[in-house]
Amino acid sequence: MTDPVALQEATRVLEEEIKLAARPQTYVFIDLASNVILIKGRGVELHRIPIESWSASHPDQMMASYRLRERPPVSRRKIDPAAGAEQEPISLVDMPTTYTLLFSSSLRILVFSNTEGDPWQWTMQRGRAWWRRLTVWGNMLRTGDPTLSPPSLDLTVSHEHAQSLAWTVVEGMPFLIRRSTP
Amino acid sequence: MKRVLLSLWYVVMSLFLVTLVQSSGLPLSDAVTDQPAPVDRAGSQTLHARYKTLVKQLTQLMPTQPYILVDTARNHLYIKRGDQVLLDAVASTGSGTILDKPGDSKGQWIFDTPRGEFAVQSRLTNPVWVKPDWAFIEEGLEVPKSQADRLESGVLGEYALGFGKGYFIHGTLYTRLLGKNVTHGCIRLNDDDLKSVYRLAKVGTPIMIF
Repeated sequence: MTDPVALQEATRVLEEEIKLAARPQTYVFIDLASNVILIKGRGVELHRIPIESWSASHPDQMMASYRLRERPPVSRRKIDPAAGAEQEPISLVDMPTTYTLLFSSSLRILVFSNTEGDPWQWTMQRGRAWWRRLTVWGNMLRTGDPTLSPPSLDLTVSHEHAQSLAWTVVEGMPFLIRRSTP
Repeated sequence: MKRVLLSLWYVVMSLFLVTLVQSSGLPLSDAVTDQPAPVDRAGSQTLHARYKTLVKQLTQLMPTQPYILVDTARNHLYIKRGDQVLLDAVASTGSGTILDKPGDSKGQWIFDTPRGEFAVQSRLTNPVWVKPDWAFIEEGLEVPKSQADRLESGVLGEYALGFGKGYFIHGTLYTRLLGKNVTHGCIRLNDDDLKSVYRLAKVGTPIMIF
């Protein structure tokens, strides 16, 4: 690695990752420099999700590791002993493709799925992104303080990968972000 | 009024342009601002050395012995040593369904396979299933008072590896359901794969589940 700024960022992230990898847990490593989301444990890559595109606001504030407050909502089937019939299990296809991940410290990650060939989904997703920006700008105009809006990250991944990520993440799971450098 | 409408139009158009840039796959410009201050040559060397030390530290945290990896979304169990895959087995993991606890308005069981890092805590041969309360309740049966009425042999296969809180890697009679999310949280394998896992895994072998 020759770029000193990239090296600084990589070093910072490694310091954070070592803290996470020292404990028996799995964690999510979002690498914006390589456009990939990695599910990791003990520093080992367990699963890889390619990022198709991303955008961030206040990336300068994305320095710490973050703990997921709650996983995306899942519609679970309830077993009815009286009915006797077995309930359909949940699977990847039951997972949402567009959702927001909220964290214990102020960070918001919006996960979008690729909407190629589906203008309705595209409109819905862009509408959500617009609305979020409008509320952030509204807050900035109202308070005059640009730092009041929390850092946020929009990630676009494939349909299946969005579902896979929703499946994998659990409450309290740590997230780490490696920021991109110019 | 006209000026207000005009301002609104500018806001909407700028949002639209931002969205177009975003949907084109390009990161927005604000994503790459506020980078750390550049470092000088001596500082760069120190940083390089620090980086190498950290990479080494992280490598030392990686398992050196075989470890078990379970992909609950795709229902696969792997045994890996470093990057080498020693076993790739089709498994069955948690169904994600829920069952209400009778007499407890807020209590319920959620049949998920737990995610995270665990370790093999016990290795059993010819395990006997001690049926928990939910196994009776979901079938609409009375929960027995006697422990002896909970025992069922021959349903877990020849081996079972416990990894805490009543969760096991074990065999199954329902091999046609392998590859599906059908269990109450345990991880099921066919007989041959179970034998391989039993042979390769020791007490303390890490189990990473995602």
